[in-house]
Amino acid sequence: MFELAPAFWLLAAAALAVVLPGKGLRAALCVAMPLVGLWQLWTMGVGASAHASLAGFELTLYSVTKVNFVFAVIFLLISAVAGVYAWHVDDRGQQVAALSYAAGALGVTLAGDFLTLLLFWELMAVASAWLVFARREARSVRAGVRYLLVHVAGGSFLFGGIILFYGQTGTLTLQALTPDMGAAAWLVLIGVALNVALPPLHPWLPDAYPKATITGAIFMSALTTKSAVYVLLVLFPGWDLLIYMGLFMALYGVVYAVLANDIRQILAYHIISQVGYMVTGVGIGTALSMNGTAAHAFSHILYKALLFMGAGAVIQATGVSKLSDLGGLAPKMRGVVWLFMIGAFSISGFPLFNGFISKSMIVSAAGEAHHYAIMLGLLLASVGTFLHTGLKIPVFTFWGKDQKLETKPIPRNMYVAMGLVAFGCTFFGVYPHALYVLLPFDAEYHPYTAYHLVEATQILTFTFIGFWVLRAKLAGEPYLALDTDWFYRRGAPVAQAMVVKPVNAFFGAGAKARDGIASFLASNFGNPRAWFGLQKGSRDRFDPDVERAPLGSGLALILLVFVAIFASVVILVP
Amino acid sequence: MKTIHWILLGIVTLASLALQYFGPPHPHPHAWDAIPLFYCMFGFVGCVLIIVVSKFLGKVWLQKKEDYYKGDDDV
Repeated sequence: MFELAPAFWLLAAAALAVVLPGKGLRAALCVAMPLVGLWQLWTMGVGASAHASLAGFELTLYSVTKVNFVFAVIFLLISAVAGVYAWHVDDRGQQVAALSYAAGALGVTLAGDFLTLLLFWELMAVASAWLVFARREARSVRAGVRYLLVHVAGGSFLFGGIILFYGQTGTLTLQALTPDMGAAAWLVLIGVALNVALPPLHPWLPDAYPKATITGAIFMSALTTKSAVYVLLVLFPGWDLLIYMGLFMALYGVVYAVLANDIRQILAYHIISQVGYMVTGVGIGTALSMNGTAAHAFSHILYKALLFMGAGAVIQATGVSKLSDLGGLAPKMRGVVWLFMIGAFSISGFPLFNGFISKSMIVSAAGEAHHYAIMLGLLLASVGTFLHTGLKIPVFTFWGKDQKLETKPIPRNMYVAMGLVAFGCTFFGVYPHALYVLLPFDAEYHPYTAYHLVEATQILTFTFIGFWVLRAKLAGEPYLALDTDWFYRRGAPVAQAMVVKPVNAFFGAGAKARDGIASFLASNFGNPRAWFGLQKGSRDRFDPDVERAPLGSGLALILLVFVAIFASVVILVP
Repeated sequence: MKTIHWILLGIVTLASLALQYFGPPHPHPHAWDAIPLFYCMFGFVGCVLIIVVSKFLGKVWLQKKEDYYKGDDDV
């Protein structure tokens, strides 16, 4: 029993939560089980694995390596803290979904073969979609359906790639893929890139995350994209294409964050931007850059969870999520302001916060690999990060024009969770060694050099000045920005006209013909006597009481016949 | 922003410049390190560029009314 991997513990917890009575017990389960999983993972350590065989396939249910260990640790940590944040939520569906979702992410991360990975991959898609549906608003349900369909499509690409891979190699063991594997590698890459939110396959993320439940979004911000980053790191290390795609992602998210108005959508676009750094790190493929990817995923999960928690607290208190409707909350939400700013300083890469010690690894790795343009591009993206997450959101939410919003008190557990994550963000910023010892590859790195401090200080200071000069331009505007979801949201009616309508018309015509035949038969065969003009009642219906002679006349006939026979016997026999 | 905030920003900038020119040199300097105040300009120009380019794209192309996806009030 104890040999089960953490993913299976979480699955068992999800199953238990289905029947467990009492909100408090389920909430405790959501916090305790990730911690049990973490303890188990820690005691098992690197090298542990379990095997099984299914339908002739040899599966590696889990295999703890140096690479997935660090990812599994942070997934379990953040799931437990997100459980604290969601302690007050009395919604069995969300609790079961959150535990299953965490199980999916763990399963993907620890899986040793493609089939196990695929099963947990699909579990993640379904469980996370539930966290969008659970908001129970019409637009959330529609966004949830889009989210689910897109992820099912992505899973199909992955599945197709895995089938081809198995056909080529005869094994399902996870291993690095190379471009010369052809379609197998590319299909897997498309499937994984969709979960990484690599444009143009990304629009599910800024579409669904702002519409998820306040607590569900914390799990979503941590698990889906970062588990996919891990898979990318294992399957596609050193793919040059990823260097450029990563930079593209980093800047793409920045541009859209200028245009977005919902505070959680701004944060969502910055997930894309931050994951771009990690993708670039995978693409560079050196020990330092791939350590940077793992470290930045770890840091990113912490500060992004904190930012989503802060934004969630604002929405919880005010019921408002659009920047254009927010403002002047600082005096009413002092605690949230401080906690949010710690997340904002972290993502912006302020010295002493955890973004600084991980982001700089990838940027430095780009420099060491002589990708100078990439290096400057990533620095530009970090200007944008500070601009939006560090300045635009807090300035227009907490200060700016006072919108006189009523604020409801926030559950205390939300503060506790934010405090825990904020501690993590500063702890690893001040003491990066605690994170560096977990990193998988052999590369030495020192973040606190004079050069890095100068670079960060000057860039951040002058970004602030630029923001202050142009701040009027950055206020939220009640518009949406077109993104690649246009293709399926505007395309759906066209596809419906092309594919659904003809089929519907065909079956509609068939149904009409069927009804015509039925009504012809019903009206002409209802009363056969009508064919000879003999009907007494309706032409459509044979009613025996009307059409047949009364019972009495039959009896009279019988009596008459009987009398006739009797009479003839009496008369004729003697 | 009060005057004291601007003074603090100035002090931070001067301190970073002092560290840059009198502190330990970078073992592998980049080509752009020869440009004085490079990272200061980078931060300011980058910030302005991001705002101007994004807003331009938004105005001419990307920004639509919130009811753009009919029946799906969505932002």
